[in-house]
Amino acid sequence: MGSLGVLFLLGSWRKAFGRVHLFKTPVITNHLRPPGAVPEEIFLGKCIRCGRCAEVCSYLSIGMLDAHWGVHAGTPVIDVEDIPCYLCMKCVEVCPTGTLQKVKQQEVRMGLAVVNQRQCVSWKGEILCRSCYNACPFREKAIYMRDQIMPVVDERYCTGCGLCTKACPTHPKAININPVYAFQRVKW
Amino acid sequence: MFVLTGAFLVIFINPFLNRCFHFNFIQGWYQSLGIGKLWFVSPLEGIESILVAKLIYTPLLIGMLIPVLLALFLGRVFCSWICPISFLSEVMDWIRLRFSPHQRLKDHFMLARKFLWFVLMIEVTVTMVLGAPIFVFLSPPGLVGREIMMVVFFKTMAVEGVVVIIVLIMNLVTRRFFCRYLCPLGALLAFIGSSRKLKVTLSDPSSCVDCGFCSKACLMGLSPQLWESHTAYCWNCGECVDTCPKGVLDYRWSPPKIQSSLHPASGPEVKPTH
Repeated sequence: MGSLGVLFLLGSWRKAFGRVHLFKTPVITNHLRPPGAVPEEIFLGKCIRCGRCAEVCSYLSIGMLDAHWGVHAGTPVIDVEDIPCYLCMKCVEVCPTGTLQKVKQQEVRMGLAVVNQRQCVSWKGEILCRSCYNACPFREKAIYMRDQIMPVVDERYCTGCGLCTKACPTHPKAININPVYAFQRVKW
Repeated sequence: MFVLTGAFLVIFINPFLNRCFHFNFIQGWYQSLGIGKLWFVSPLEGIESILVAKLIYTPLLIGMLIPVLLALFLGRVFCSWICPISFLSEVMDWIRLRFSPHQRLKDHFMLARKFLWFVLMIEVTVTMVLGAPIFVFLSPPGLVGREIMMVVFFKTMAVEGVVVIIVLIMNLVTRRFFCRYLCPLGALLAFIGSSRKLKVTLSDPSSCVDCGFCSKACLMGLSPQLWESHTAYCWNCGECVDTCPKGVLDYRWSPPKIQSSLHPASGPEVKPTH
């Protein structure tokens, strides 16, 4: 019983503190900042964690990180596999610090969708799937179908909203959002 | 107390309005509160944001303007009249007085009041060194609002809520221990309001009977009858004004200056105290 209790305690300890990151950025593939976010280099300092973007989001796309993320606790993150961004652009209106800058809907660059051609069933030629193409809010511009079969992303128009990732039926996802714009250097 | 409850209810009901009815007129909590197009930003958070990011954003400055002006003229009234931690502490004091055998809350552990300024300096320095604003995600007033919002929106609670509980437990040692000595936001507001206009003043010093009720009632451990309510540490809560049996203490708009609390006999009408 005693050793079991110790094991249980250790387990709950691991559960509570197991994945603590002190300075690691939470922005990875499919985990993005809300629209109009400043680069990750200064996001941490500029955001005052007021949570108004998460509060105004009608779709509950924007989640807030907790203390497991160290200094990033309380910052907003969108997990596009869970709920993608519908680009309603309410969050950029309410941000009081300019962390989310006011941008137009088509100028949002949260990330870039990348098709994994070895995973995509259309590229493999198994079945004809147009899920990502149908879900894309900028259809024929951001995602177009090569030969009416294979989806191709155009980086000039892709906003990185993640609707295609959410719609993709394969597991793991064949189209993912890479936060390529989040790590730009800031020009002073 | 009504103001305090109302201010707490604003952040308590607000997430429900936003979540269930998408009613976005009032938004946020006491880190940044938006009422329609009027935005408030807590000054310390705004300053940290500017210091760390080294970029100035005009709406941020405008949002900080009203809280700073409020502190400039009225002192730390945010702390005593609005702050949700203050509300929770009042509730806790009320419960303790209902159940405690001795009917008075005591201060068991005191520090020098100047400690408050050191906390503010340390906080700003650590923020600049780390390059990450500390107070914005560990500020108890903001955390209360965030926890309520997390429960309403995501049905979870963040781990940082422990900070709020620790702050409330500190109340058991000394009333408002955190607010007195450790709150950087309070220190900043006190610094801004150190030459404020509204002060608790002995309106008629000759009828003061030195009963000392005001210094027992004071949540910050000050003695208003020794003119300590004129120092930067007073937060204008008005407990002493309510307690004074003679009704001598009162709010005054820009009262005449007292040179020092130890030498109060600067004016002819000031009663020499012990």
